[in-house]
Amino acid sequence: MSEDLHTLSGAFALDALNESEAEQFRNHLLGCTGCALEVSELREAAALMGSIESRPVPESLKARVLAVADRTPQLPPRVTSLDSVRRRSWLTAAAGIVAAAVVVAGVGVGISRLGDDEVPLAGGVSQVFDASDAHTAQVSTDRGSVSVAVSSSTGRVALDVRDLEPLDDEHVYQVWALDENGGTPTSMAVLSGGPGASMPLPESGTRLALTVEPAPHSKVPTTTPFIEVDPSTV
Amino acid sequence: MADAALRLVPSAGGVDVDQLLTRVARGDSQAFEWLYDELGASVYGLARRVVRDPSRAEDIAQEVFLEVWRKAARFDRNLGKGKTWVLTIAHRRAVDAVRRNEAVKRSDLHGAPDDVVHDQPGEAVIAAEEHGEVRDCLDTLTELQLESVRLAYFNGYTYNEVATLLGKPLSTIKTRMRDGLIRLRDCLEGAA
Repeated sequence: MSEDLHTLSGAFALDALNESEAEQFRNHLLGCTGCALEVSELREAAALMGSIESRPVPESLKARVLAVADRTPQLPPRVTSLDSVRRRSWLTAAAGIVAAAVVVAGVGVGISRLGDDEVPLAGGVSQVFDASDAHTAQVSTDRGSVSVAVSSSTGRVALDVRDLEPLDDEHVYQVWALDENGGTPTSMAVLSGGPGASMPLPESGTRLALTVEPAPHSKVPTTTPFIEVDPSTV
Repeated sequence: MADAALRLVPSAGGVDVDQLLTRVARGDSQAFEWLYDELGASVYGLARRVVRDPSRAEDIAQEVFLEVWRKAARFDRNLGKGKTWVLTIAHRRAVDAVRRNEAVKRSDLHGAPDDVVHDQPGEAVIAAEEHGEVRDCLDTLTELQLESVRLAYFNGYTYNEVATLLGKPLSTIKTRMRDGLIRLRDCLEGAA
């Protein structure tokens, strides 16, 4: 099977896999350095093939592109690993910075929507809680309580998990979006020792769930959610 | 005052895209403009080849450069060249656009093989030695390798669809795509 997957490198480099095959192949790449190298070489060959199609661009496009970029913020560089995020947030705490300041800065939030570059690393948890139209709720469980804030003006939902019991180094809290049709849960955030997380408001009907997962994180939930929240009812 | 940036753009071409991306990552809009000048035609041309519709291709090119602007700090030169990174984004977006438009795709299916194999790039193609090398190297592929690679890359078909279209087993198409790209890569390496 592995060899079978490996021969998909060409189709993958050509973007010729369907989404689930591509996902499977990306997972395969994580554990196969040789395959990753091959894909990057094949992609380069494909890109060179693509560039022979170059043709003059309509004049007006340049001004549009530059104007749009000019008013668009850039994403920060990716940190090297989830572990380093967690270590840093613990170090920050150890340095004597008060928890409140950490929350205000939105630091130590972990990764929002794994594999999706669209969401900045720092979540702006307090921005959602402080939004003028924020609705908040507190959910109690046997692991402690979680505060939830939903703000339409920012289009985000935030979780404050400072009152949840801390986990050991081997485990993390992970936030999932569960769609109403019982589809595969989507990872929204990993709480690696941070005080909370903020994420885009999911589609209506989608519930957010929290699970305990082995560090650094899981691709799909491996434990039963101990909290489920429907943001539209907050 | 001599601006250090100017040295990045030698008069005889050969702009260092990787260096430009490093500067774009720091918010350098001049570097971003040079990057556009360098890669705009490739991005637009590729998008247009895949989606065919000129105005849709313009929209895609704009989306691609916006993504490059936003994610420049995430570009990792250890994973490949900057130009490859940008064109990979362009191809992905163009293919997504085609796949979203199933109706267009179905109507294309009938004429696709002839279309692709004999298709020449549009008029006024920017002349470059590199392009000649790529064409020469594409000529070294077997017919089935070339057809498989081009149907997937330029028409946005999945390998499954290519197999159906060419009436070949999936495993054959899968390996032809890989072998074809490997042959292209090796040939281009030899030419460089």
